[in-house]
Amino acid sequence: MTRAEFMGRLKQGLVGLPMATAAEIAADYEAHFEDGAAAGRSEAEIAAALGDPGRLARELRAEAGARRWGQEQTASSAAGAIFAILGLGAIDILILLPIVLPVFGTMLAMLLTGVGVFIAGGFVLAVGPFVGAPGGVLGAVLLGVGLMGLGLFMGGLFALLTKWLIDATIWYARLHYRVLKPALEPQPVVQA
Amino acid sequence: MPETIEIQLKKGVLTLCVLALLNRGDSYAYEIASTLSDAIDMGEGTIYPLMRRMQADGQVETYLVESSSGPSRKYYRLTDAGRRALEAQTAEWRAFVRAVDAIVDAPAAPAATPAEEGAEQ
Repeated sequence: MTRAEFMGRLKQGLVGLPMATAAEIAADYEAHFEDGAAAGRSEAEIAAALGDPGRLARELRAEAGARRWGQEQTASSAAGAIFAILGLGAIDILILLPIVLPVFGTMLAMLLTGVGVFIAGGFVLAVGPFVGAPGGVLGAVLLGVGLMGLGLFMGGLFALLTKWLIDATIWYARLHYRVLKPALEPQPVVQA
Repeated sequence: MPETIEIQLKKGVLTLCVLALLNRGDSYAYEIASTLSDAIDMGEGTIYPLMRRMQADGQVETYLVESSSGPSRKYYRLTDAGRRALEAQTAEWRAFVRAVDAIVDAPAAPAATPAEEGAEQ
């Protein structure tokens, strides 16, 4: 592989990252080729020692995704981090599916219950005082506000659990990062 | 698969190696990569994801040094957090090596006793 081919495949793999980050990464690898050339190595030698550019790009994207999640906890950064990590193959989704599905189901049920309780509270608060609820006007108002509070609390708990779950997923994936794999895989072929 | 344990071991000590190298003196990625690829056979390209990760974790920081030829070069140096990580990981590594050595180098004395009994019979 020539330097141009390597850089082309690397940049292709980095599409979707912020421009500045991708440029910085590309500059790192360009500098590597410069230093290698200065040390008297051929482009093909340097590219072979660097490893598969597609795989390197996936690792760099996963790293960038995890970092972005660390800086801003938004739905898009969470999705970015998780998809980047899935792309890396660090988490085998088929093995994890039986564990992940019930967890997500529970979380979703909790969120829906929270929303339902909140709406019910609002309904009791708005309608209760006029239809002669058993506790009287004050009872209906208190019950309504109480239910809305409970709904908010459940929503907050859901948000907290979700953040914790995503943190745990990223932590797990980083732990199982196969950093050396691309470089070590061709090794046995060379020796054999 | 005899390579598996090797990959796992190298993966585990890669960060420690980079921390130790930078503790000896600031360096740039090409130098770190070639030193480590000679010593522990790692792919040179993997140094960049690793350095970005260590930078994100606050263990290293970068600065540019003007070069007489070509563009300026990016150097890495350890932060205080990096030095603490080096201390902690070095201690863990030493303890691990001691524990494994103790098992691997244990004298075969317990096995010798039944063999002697067998010879006497």
